Parts: sequence; structure tokens; C-alpha cells
Amino acid sequence: MAVRVMIVDDSPFSRTLIAETLTEGGFEIAGEADSLESALKTYEEVQPDLVTMDIAMPEHDGFEVSRALLRHDPKAKIILSSSMKDEETEMEAKRIGVSGYVQKPLEAETLFTIIEKVLSPDTLFQELMDRGLETFKEALAQNLTRMAKTPVEFIEDADIEEPYRSKGVTTVIGIIGQYTGTMIMDLAFEDAEKIAETLLRRPAKDREEVLAMVAELANIVGGIACSMLNKREKSLGLRVSPPSMFHGNSAELVSPRVKIQKSLARTQYGEIFLGIGFKKGSTLWM
Amino acid sequence: MDVNAINPILASFTEVLPLLGFSQVTKKKVSLAGSTLAYDGILLNVAVVGSIKGVLLLGMSFEDAKKFASKMMMGMEVLELDSLAQSAISEMTNMVCANACTQFSKADIGGLDISPPTLMMGTGGMATLPVPQAIIIDFDCDGIEVKLYVGLA
Repeated sequence: MAVRVMIVDDSPFSRTLIAETLTEGGFEIAGEADSLESALKTYEEVQPDLVTMDIAMPEHDGFEVSRALLRHDPKAKIILSSSMKDEETEMEAKRIGVSGYVQKPLEAETLFTIIEKVLSPDTLFQELMDRGLETFKEALAQNLTRMAKTPVEFIEDADIEEPYRSKGVTTVIGIIGQYTGTMIMDLAFEDAEKIAETLLRRPAKDREEVLAMVAELANIVGGIACSMLNKREKSLGLRVSPPSMFHGNSAELVSPRVKIQKSLARTQYGEIFLGIGFKKGSTLWM
Repeated sequence: MDVNAINPILASFTEVLPLLGFSQVTKKKVSLAGSTLAYDGILLNVAVVGSIKGVLLLGMSFEDAKKFASKMMMGMEVLELDSLAQSAISEMTNMVCANACTQFSKADIGGLDISPPTLMMGTGGMATLPVPQAIIIDFDCDGIEVKLYVGLA
């Protein structure tokens, strides 16, 4: 069965041109729209497999129409087209969650290639999901063993039970790159104090010193794990944010937009929770 | 951090919330705080990486979070901050932060990307941001109090 495409472009000439190109390539034109309102209405009616979207349109641009379509159907596959090709346009496309981006004038072969890629299973993401948690565990084990001289044993791998209840000191690190994600490290304050004492070879001066040690450990683990993943697959381009810390109580923690895989590291100082999650949806850029 | 640098965030917040059904979004107060802040209720953490780095946090009391989620769900009664309500508020936070990156790019601070939001829920908790100083913006959104903590450097 032919792939059904909906074309969103305010120019009838452009729509005709894209429709002809796609028809020649064996695609079916499921519908056409020239504005935000008509795009939402047509999408609902024809339920296309894919949408091509012009960026420059009067009233609502392609970004706004894409946002509205994705709000309506988060699974919508949208390929943006524009004569502009710069970093900021790419970032905006990524933040919105469109599937692909192709530069105008549209070349048939480029358009067909990107459609094929957008509709095929995302193997890179699958690999990241398969390998992600293991890599972060390896980074945690290596660094804890090296820094705090403790053997590390992992006792549990499972999807996180939501909500997770913090043991006392939670570090959250954002991950940016081809895919975005989150790393969560959590441990009891008393255990963090013991690790800090080993690292400093004296008791920590105050609470801040303990928290700073935990932040540094999480930062190292996140940074090293992302480097290991990038080394294996360059196109991931993962980078970590500086850590945020939550402490002083036993808060509940959830990650509504990302499924978190978890593991518990058992050390001589106590248990350390490690949670990793990545969000599907990267933008192909051609 | 320069207080003027919050303008893209203010613009984003006041642009996105009306799209979610809020009619009156008012900035009540802007204040400075250190890196450690107390919170009671919910706190959403979104990391920012790019030419500026850090974190944006959005906080509400439990009661206000329920009211906020109800408003987003067209007045549907929200008795508990369940997964649907958590998802709605996370979605809003994601939209505000993504839009803030767009507003930053208009001010020539480009190449920013954000992490998915993580939601903390608890009473008497503390948050330590990865910057020496944070800016707190208090908003009133149709009678619901929302705090936005900006920790970017």
C-alpha cells in the first residue's frame, strides 16, 4: 500500500509541485492544506502517514502548525521544508519534535530518502535504549570503585516504579544531543556522608560539602557514560547539563515524558539508585 | 546572571499559557536568591544546554498544581495529582522551556536545547541549582500561583 502524505503549504504552486514529485515516487496524496485550521481539519479527516510542511506561511508558520498537529497527535510524522538551513532552525525543529527537515528547492531523491528514513524504525534509538543503562552502570561502578574504593554490585534492573521515593539526596542531570534524556542518581544522606569521608580522608565540614561531592560524582558518571556512548556512535552527540540537586526530605519523583530504566548499586556505603531515560524523536536533517 | 536575561522566559510564559486556556497571566514579583531554595509542593526541573547552561524550575503548591492541571484539562475535576495531571503540567513546562529557547534565539542566544522535565513532589524539600544565584519570578495565572526559578549562566 502506498504511503499516504498530506501536504501543508500556502502556495498552490508549491503544493502541485510537491504532489507531482511524490506521486511520481509512488506516494499517495492523502490531502492538502494551506493554513493551521485547514491542516488540523484535513489531518483529522485523512489520517495521513506523513505530513510535509512549509515553514514560511502567512499567519501561522510551519513551526506553529507543526506544534498544533503534534499537540493533536503526538505520533504525527512531519517533515519540514524551508530554504533556510541554519543551526537555530534545526534546534527549533528538534524542540518541537518534527521528524525531518529538508531544504528547498526539494529534490525528489532527497525527499524520498528522508521519507523512507522517517518511516523506518529508529535503530539508533533502540541501540541507545539497549545500551544506555548498562553504560551508565559501568561508569558509576568504575568511578565509585576508583574514587571511594568500594566494590559495586548491581542488584536490580527494572522499569522504574512510579513514583520513585527519594532516599534523601537526588541529583538530576539533563542529557542533550541527537536524543534528549535524564540521568537520576539518588542515595541516603548518611551514605553520601560516608562516601565523602572516604574521598576527603576526613569527615565532611558541612552539608554543602557532602552535596558538592554527590554533584561531582553524578557529573563525572553522566559525562563519562555519555562519552562512552558517543565513542561507540558518533552521531549521538550526547552532552550533559550541570546537575540539579533535591534534598532535605523524601520527595517523590516522576518523569512523565520519559520512561526511566533503573538499577540499584549496592556498595559498602549503602545503595545508590541510578535511573536513565531517553526520549524518542530526533530530527533528520537533509 | 543579568536580570534582563529573563525577558525571553517572561515572553515565553506569557505567550504559552494563553494557548493552554489561561486568560490572565501576571508577573507579580522578580527576586534574587542563592543557589539553594526551599520548596513545598511540586517542582519541575528542565536542564538547558547550549551557549548558556543551567536549569529552569517551575514550582507550585499541591493545591495550585491540581487547579492548574484542571484548568489545562478544560475544567475537569482534579482531586489528586495523578499521572494525567502530572503529565499535563510536565507538558506545559516543556512547552514554556522550549519556547523560552526560541525567545533566547531571537535575542541572539542560540543553539539551546532542553532535557525532558523531571517532577519532584514533596514538602519541606530543598533544591540546589548549579549556579551561584537564581532569579525567581512569581506569576499569578488566573488566581494560581506559579514560581519560575531561573538558574542559567
